[in-house]
Amino acid sequence: MRYFIEHETVLEYPEAVREHHVELRLTPREDSYQRLLGITLETEPTAGLRGYRDYYGNQVTCFDIIQPHRRLVTRMRAEVENTLANPFDFQPLSPGDEQERLREALRTTPALYDYILSRSPATPNLGRLDQGFAFPCHEPGRPVLESVQQAMEWITTVLRYKAGVTTVHSTLAQALTAAAGVCQDFAHLLIAIVRSWKIPARYVMGYLASREEGAEEAPPATHAWTEVFIPGRGWTGFDATQQILANDLFIPVAVGRDYLDAAPQRGSFKGDAAGDNPVIRLSISQQ
Amino acid sequence: MAAISSDTSQKPRISYHEFYTDGFTPREHYRPLWEHIQSVGQNAFEAKVHESQLALHAEGVTFTVYGDSDEGIERIWPFDLIPRIIPASEWSIIESGLKQRVRALNLFLKDIYHDQRILKDGVVPAELIYQGKDFRREIMGIDPPHDIYTHISGIDIIRDEDGKYLVLEDNLRTPSGVSYMIENRVIERRILPEFFAKYRVRRVEHYPALLLEALRAVSPRGTGQAEIVVLTPGIYNSAYFEHTFLAKEMGVELAEGRDLVAKDDVVYLKTTTGLQRVDVIYRRVDDDFLDPLVFRSDSTLGVAGIINAWRAGNIAIVNAPGNGIADDKAVYPYVPDIIRYYLAEAPILHNVPTYQMTNPEERAYVLDNLERMVVKAVSESGGYGMLMGPASTPALRKEFAAKVQEDPRNYIAQPVIQLSRHICYMDGELEARHLDLRPYIIYGDDINVVPGGLTRVALTKGSLVVNSSQGGGSKDTWVLAE
Repeated sequence: MRYFIEHETVLEYPEAVREHHVELRLTPREDSYQRLLGITLETEPTAGLRGYRDYYGNQVTCFDIIQPHRRLVTRMRAEVENTLANPFDFQPLSPGDEQERLREALRTTPALYDYILSRSPATPNLGRLDQGFAFPCHEPGRPVLESVQQAMEWITTVLRYKAGVTTVHSTLAQALTAAAGVCQDFAHLLIAIVRSWKIPARYVMGYLASREEGAEEAPPATHAWTEVFIPGRGWTGFDATQQILANDLFIPVAVGRDYLDAAPQRGSFKGDAAGDNPVIRLSISQQ
Repeated sequence: MAAISSDTSQKPRISYHEFYTDGFTPREHYRPLWEHIQSVGQNAFEAKVHESQLALHAEGVTFTVYGDSDEGIERIWPFDLIPRIIPASEWSIIESGLKQRVRALNLFLKDIYHDQRILKDGVVPAELIYQGKDFRREIMGIDPPHDIYTHISGIDIIRDEDGKYLVLEDNLRTPSGVSYMIENRVIERRILPEFFAKYRVRRVEHYPALLLEALRAVSPRGTGQAEIVVLTPGIYNSAYFEHTFLAKEMGVELAEGRDLVAKDDVVYLKTTTGLQRVDVIYRRVDDDFLDPLVFRSDSTLGVAGIINAWRAGNIAIVNAPGNGIADDKAVYPYVPDIIRYYLAEAPILHNVPTYQMTNPEERAYVLDNLERMVVKAVSESGGYGMLMGPASTPALRKEFAAKVQEDPRNYIAQPVIQLSRHICYMDGELEARHLDLRPYIIYGDDINVVPGGLTRVALTKGSLVVNSSQGGGSKDTWVLAE
């Protein structure tokens, strides 16, 4: 599938701000299933854009606007091709080989430990959550893929999708208490479960396209899902919100230990005004 | 790692006395000093002590102590006039050992933030690094100018009961105390010039010049174009005195975060005549607060964008961000292996035996023997977050046991070592007090160990805690020329 994506963020401040430094993680990633055919990034006011690849592999765009300003617009337009038509198209290893392969991967890529060991309020140690849940386990004799699918099913028994209950900074415990949340909360819960099995899991921020041609309803914002390191296959996307494996409707942009690492825009400025909520305009069209 | 001793009844050994060979005879290198003190007489000495107090007061040599709730109390620096003397033969071991250690730790940092060979080879466990609070993913892959991370180190050294020098801890982030090393020498020279006539004492007063030279050496625009600033968190920081002292001595600007601005990956100082480009930032602001764009976003002490300016190669940050993973106390037990791994040399200075709390057997042993242990939080310094077993109450031991069980990666334990003793002039009497030594190592064009350091004294009788924040004092430290 080929997509044209436009992502615009408008920040307005009641008082002028200055020395505004911004990092964007908006460049769709390139992997074995996804190609970036073209991208433009622009800002208002205009700024000199610079870039680097961060530790998680994300392409970061940074810029600064030193002069006072009351409005900042960032706009990304990209053309992307995703060929992940059938995520099940791989030969699973035997559970024993999976374990062996994971040990080997951890030895050659120590950074994978981050996606096992990392704990945060969004992806806490489940053993320390005092909420009486019997979190799903991973039986040693079972393929990782099956355990993850079962965990996704289990998640629907404790969380239901409802916008407005949690915020972007809610903790996992808050979402579980409310028994409701949005894609970010579903993604974090699956991450926390998979990490409790000592299997690497990470957060993905990206876009979700729709199969229906000309669907009028615009996606509200970016989507979030989980990637699990399946030995023998590598990083594999799971959308706990919809209980499916990520396919060519999913356009991954940035990854990290949790939502903070993969935030599309991070900024720091001087000025008295706290920023109003960003206004985001997002459109994804099939080519 | 420490061997678990099966003999839990062993008695604490007697500490090494720096000054006396027995209770009465001074060691060879202290004899001229001893004879001088005896000839001057106590009254004259008492007057000198008084004079030194006045001098410290007049110079404004202070430090700040933090309690649980207060915002810090400023105190006059406690100073003991009787110097600690280190013969050249002993110093040469310390010096070569410290150079070796700093060279290896610097290579370790470069490796951890690039290829991680030492983790892939299984010499240091990857879990240990990835669970370290001070492992900074944000700086992965950045090449600091000249590959130097540890520009200034303060490595704490003690002597065990046999008088052997051991490394107690590494301080590779923003080690403080060097201004006191210099002030101690200045006061000592002024008050007791006649002491110096009897010895060939190596200089430490040129430290700011050495530091300036090292800062210039790492300037990305070359030594000829090296605009340097000292970045301080401000007047409320406990080491503010030192920040002003070093800036003044080096003749460079003292700046707070708000005085600097990053623009297109270049850092500038805001001056009355406009923006002035900065090449080297000697920062005394902790990593967490250094850049609100990449570290703590609520920090007002740092400069947004300086990590990206560093990544672009336009500034040197001294010391490099991310060094905390190398002086993490849970990484410390691996330093001898780190030295062997990178340098293929045997460590010259040894560590204090250390128990890893992540190891269930060692943890169980430590929890059973807490009253004979020193327990330390791995990323704290200055004597904060520490349990001194023999001096602790059952309630405090219980509290620490709970903390260790809750978060084993965050603690290590060491058997109590009787630090060496030295005579100190305490209220008209010469009394023995325990002490340690923090030498300073500067890494610029080359690695330079300043011949001397800060000798810290536990002023309370019998106490083994020397940190000034915990009521410690200090002595001038003389390293003798051959």
